Amino acid sequence: MKLAVVLCIATGAMALAGAVLHGQQVAVDPETIGKAPVTNWTTFNGDYSGQRYSTLTQITADNVNRLEAQWVYRITEVGAQRGAPVPIIKCTPLLVNGVLYMTIPDHLWALDARTGKQIWRYDWVDHGGHLIGQRGVGIWKSTVFFQTPDNWLIALDANTGKELWRKNYADARKQYFSTSAPLVVRNHVIVGVGGDAMDMPGFLDSFDPVTGDLQWTWWSTPRKGDAALKTWPNAAAAEHGGGMTWMPGTYDPDLNLLYWPTGNTNPVFAGQGRPGANLWTEAIVAIDADTGKLKWYFQVSPHDTHDFDNTTAPILFDSTIDGKPRKLVAQAARNGFFVTLDRDTGKHLVVKPYVPLDYSSGMSKDGEPIPIADKDPQVGGSINIVNASNWPAPAYSPQTGLMYVNSVEGKAIYYLTDDSDKPSGYGGTGDGIGRSVRVLQAIDPLTGEAVWKHAYPNVKDAPTTVGPSILTTAGNLLISGDDQKNMIIFSADKGKILWHYELNANESGGIITYLLDGKQYIVLGAGDSLYAWSLSK
Amino acid sequence: MRRIAVRGVACVALLGVIAAAGAGSQQPRADQQEGPQQGYAKAAPAQRADATRVFLGLGAVPDKAAAARGGPLFAQNCAFCHGEKARGATGPSLITSDQVLADNHGEHLAQFLRKGIPEKGMPAFASMADQQLTDIAEFLHQQVEDVANRGAYHVLNIVVGNAAEGKAYVESHCMQCHTAETFAHFASKFRSPEQLQGNWIWPRRSAQMTAHVKTAEGTVAGRVTQISDFRITLVDAAGKTAVIDRKPGVEVTIDDPLAAHQEMVMTLGNDAMHNVTAYLETLK
Repeated sequence: MKLAVVLCIATGAMALAGAVLHGQQVAVDPETIGKAPVTNWTTFNGDYSGQRYSTLTQITADNVNRLEAQWVYRITEVGAQRGAPVPIIKCTPLLVNGVLYMTIPDHLWALDARTGKQIWRYDWVDHGGHLIGQRGVGIWKSTVFFQTPDNWLIALDANTGKELWRKNYADARKQYFSTSAPLVVRNHVIVGVGGDAMDMPGFLDSFDPVTGDLQWTWWSTPRKGDAALKTWPNAAAAEHGGGMTWMPGTYDPDLNLLYWPTGNTNPVFAGQGRPGANLWTEAIVAIDADTGKLKWYFQVSPHDTHDFDNTTAPILFDSTIDGKPRKLVAQAARNGFFVTLDRDTGKHLVVKPYVPLDYSSGMSKDGEPIPIADKDPQVGGSINIVNASNWPAPAYSPQTGLMYVNSVEGKAIYYLTDDSDKPSGYGGTGDGIGRSVRVLQAIDPLTGEAVWKHAYPNVKDAPTTVGPSILTTAGNLLISGDDQKNMIIFSADKGKILWHYELNANESGGIITYLLDGKQYIVLGAGDSLYAWSLSK
Repeated sequence: MRRIAVRGVACVALLGVIAAAGAGSQQPRADQQEGPQQGYAKAAPAQRADATRVFLGLGAVPDKAAAARGGPLFAQNCAFCHGEKARGATGPSLITSDQVLADNHGEHLAQFLRKGIPEKGMPAFASMADQQLTDIAEFLHQQVEDVANRGAYHVLNIVVGNAAEGKAYVESHCMQCHTAETFAHFASKFRSPEQLQGNWIWPRRSAQMTAHVKTAEGTVAGRVTQISDFRITLVDAAGKTAVIDRKPGVEVTIDDPLAAHQEMVMTLGNDAMHNVTAYLETLK
């Protein structure tokens, strides 16, 4: 009798799910993952390149004034999260077969993209980890992959939200925590991790999408026997050297290489215990997707002592230089340098400051900025720049040939709080000084020069998590926003403001666009709400 | 378990404050202003430490008195292998030790220390009193706290400059705008040298911009309370607030009273900063 009741309820639930999902069963052909986004948005960046560029042209400069919110999904059933008084959407949603997948820490929603109504929700009860953000999910066939604050990779049925398997890959007690979106490449689910409070090494894990078995691990710092150990005083320092992998990387299917940005070195501000360049922290690393072996690296911030956490997306694009086709990768790094590299070899083409800075004395022969020791954090304080960019996504438009980044120009005083010869943890702190200004920049990646800039006026200083994200389209649109709740659409070629709308909060996640039922939508998260826009009739 | 994060209601208010100041890499920090961070900076040190501990999921608060008793015991019995602050020497660092992180107040660690790991060269401390073993455990938890809870960090003595050179700098750089009056008893206005340092470089209280806004109806002038690409809000001399849309034809002229200071911020060297701070610290 009891069993019969349970079965009855289960059948009822299934039927309900089936009714909502009728005709839009989610199943992604792995061959299509990471392809240019048109009717789907299948990875964190939309495709593998990280360009966040859409070929859609339904919405243009001429009709953008007819944009209208079609629906808004507001999170009402989750209260304050540790570290955030209200839930903040920091994900880039995925869109597959008319279903949107949206996350905040510990929670994942499947929403009907036509109505914004919930199809299912998955809730996780964490045991530790930081609830500072969640960037979204990965998808493969009918499986969605979700990372939790306490470092579980959870595989769920994309149609029902039913858990298929889970794997724990890092210890939250050691201050590892996860905010990333897994990157799905062929039969690999690539997972990165965060956490720099306790001097642990960063790593990337690759899991089998069907079984959850670990395929390979790449460590961000060298282990015993590796030549790169010469950039550390000893093996113990390397094993506590940081280099977290907390933002999704990009991928070139032809070269089968992952391009991953690695985070700050540990101890964070106190570098006196780790003389040397401290590989492969603060770098862009190219890693074979099948083996997890490092092919090349370019260290953007050798021997970092400013939490320059090199996690801004490395964007892949192709160009012709001196008549030759080139495969390139570019990054507007958090240390204020813009770098463009050959993505086959890692050799640099451009290394140039894109914000005013004076902490570098020049370049090494490999093009890596050489820091000035006097600019390191000091007991009496040391003035240096604030992070020039952060995790919110930059973009590249093949139509204009320009990279776009929301940057910050400003300074802080960095204090060394642990001047011992064996510092640990952060070992320092900082305090903003003077005005800091948010500047949207359109940078020619072949020269490193800004073609246009837009400084957002504000009497309040710029927040450090420099956002929001950026999306560009073939309609010559650049979609982004300020830190006064305005969603703003610029012309991508000139930086002219075409349209704006005041939301209930600052844009806080990634901006996506897609065609659904013949209509181009723009979807973005702002605070606790997800907005879907398209043209009114 | 030590790591289970607290979700007490009492924490919520503080957590709003810590939101922007806690999580390092992924996170705004106190060094760069964002709304909540100002609150964070103003929070009492103990509150800040507690809120950061909750945010980071660092678990139980170490017993400071017991940790102080455990210090000499650790120095005598453990530091030779693990280093004076347990950050490793010939033996491993204990800051991220599973044994330490699984313990709250010695309930597991005391037992562990009593037995040691003789096969790995760690002796058994079987003859130590229970109290001594838990004191060592608290000492270890305090070391973890000192490393991992950056909300509990404090600056060292930042007065490291040369006062005479600082005086010369002030005389050659500041007197075009300021008089000796500005600097009289300067140090007595601030609670700490780092507050003094932050304020002479960037006197926040004087940072309010003013503006003239020309519209078709005339010109409005006043203090700018906010400005975006689309709107400016002013408070005029009579205290009246004006909100003006920045439509085509509206001209905004901003006057920044700290323009000279901003120029200084962008070019100031560390030696000059330290020297001026040392000099101003003498002006009690």
